[in-house]
Amino acid sequence: MKVALVRLGLLAALLAAWEVAGRAANPLLAVPPSAVIPALRDLLLLRSYPALSASLLLTVREIGAAYALAVGAGLGCGFMLGMHRVLGRAWGPMIAALYAVPAVVWYPSLMLFFGLDAASKIAFGFLLGFFPITLAVLAGIRQVNPQLVVVARAYGAGAVAVFVRVMLPSMLFTLVGGLRTGLALCVIGVIVGEILGSKAGMGALINHAYGLLRTGDYVALVLVTLVLVVGSDVLASLLERRARAWTE
Amino acid sequence: MTVRVLQLVTVVGGLTAWETAARAGWVDALFVPAPSAVARALLRTAYVLSVGLGVSAGVAIGSVRLLREVLSPYVVALYGIPKILVLPWIVLLLGYGTSPAIFYGALHGLFPVMVLVMGAVRDVDRTLVTVARSLGATTWQLYWKVLLPAIVPSVLAGMRLGIVFCLLGVLVVEMFAGVRGMGHILGSFANGFQAPELFAATGLVSAASIAIVLALDHLNDRLSHWRG
Repeated sequence: MKVALVRLGLLAALLAAWEVAGRAANPLLAVPPSAVIPALRDLLLLRSYPALSASLLLTVREIGAAYALAVGAGLGCGFMLGMHRVLGRAWGPMIAALYAVPAVVWYPSLMLFFGLDAASKIAFGFLLGFFPITLAVLAGIRQVNPQLVVVARAYGAGAVAVFVRVMLPSMLFTLVGGLRTGLALCVIGVIVGEILGSKAGMGALINHAYGLLRTGDYVALVLVTLVLVVGSDVLASLLERRARAWTE
Repeated sequence: MTVRVLQLVTVVGGLTAWETAARAGWVDALFVPAPSAVARALLRTAYVLSVGLGVSAGVAIGSVRLLREVLSPYVVALYGIPKILVLPWIVLLLGYGTSPAIFYGALHGLFPVMVLVMGAVRDVDRTLVTVARSLGATTWQLYWKVLLPAIVPSVLAGMRLGIVFCLLGVLVVEMFAGVRGMGHILGSFANGFQAPELFAATGLVSAASIAIVLALDHLNDRLSHWRG
């Protein structure tokens, strides 16, 4: 309770200091919180950017497509490498090494391949989300106790039963964690892609406001995008909790 | 051990060859810059800043109970949100060029280091602290002899994670608002539809970052041997 109060107090003090300093310095560049509130109101009433809802929808759809692809490919690739010993040993370390590359180096190439439209953002979001999911599947498969699999087989369980009853419960924890990280990275990938170069979507609006020095609108757009980011993570954490409850 | 040595020799050898080739002018330095140039341009300052600040802030926040309880949700939240959203603002405030790249790269690398170090400090074995205290260790000794050795693995893990984040941050800024640097080069090759040059540069940056991470992994191994 006390801690929560201190936290809130700190946040309030920070905002107040920002307000004072922002007004004293350059209100256009420093964007004091009082300038953000009317901008946010205009934005939400679709006055400053009538394209807001369409842009938001586009970004959400890009994230959805990127995540669906990342989950599909990540699970497929992860299980293939995890179940097949030779493939896993050959390609597993390579995937881990590629994960160490700052993914944004691929973005210019993706932009060249897929153009400025949604496809390059989907591809970049997919690329970012793919690795954590694949690596989580690999780590999860390593966690499965092979003796349990052998015993289940010995008692006559088929491949499907072994998978659902033995493997899935013991790897679910890691798997769901990877799926959550993957979603967060897909969201970041799509937004990064949009900001680095796009014609539509939240990133394009942010770039537009920034380019025209409409800093109040810019901060308001960032806040709306943050709601999207935080919302997706809250959704993922709820699903994670459900999955956890199921294993226990 | 032999395998490790061989790997290290290969990486160092490859980098040396590449450096020599670039310096001697066998390859065009415009789109095959020397690795030292890449590393220098990319991240020296940003990385040093993020590791230095991350470790010190992590130790401070992790070891002081009140600070930890108050600040940790903020730190985790700042770690989680996509920093790209504040990039336009940073560019507005700091202008084009190197300073936003350093600032943003440091910002990107700071939080992973900080979160890891914070967790490590919090999880230091309480028994060790109590024993050291009861044997009369001063606060300074406590930090230096108990806390620091205990958090070395997390600091190293943070450094490994931090470098990727730092590279990412610096590259993003250079693409977004750079006037030089690898990110800018990549961006302009893409805008100019110069696919071969673009792929060469992409390959180089990827190889350089893999090499850096492998080298840190190696250091990690060595240091964990040394710690026992």
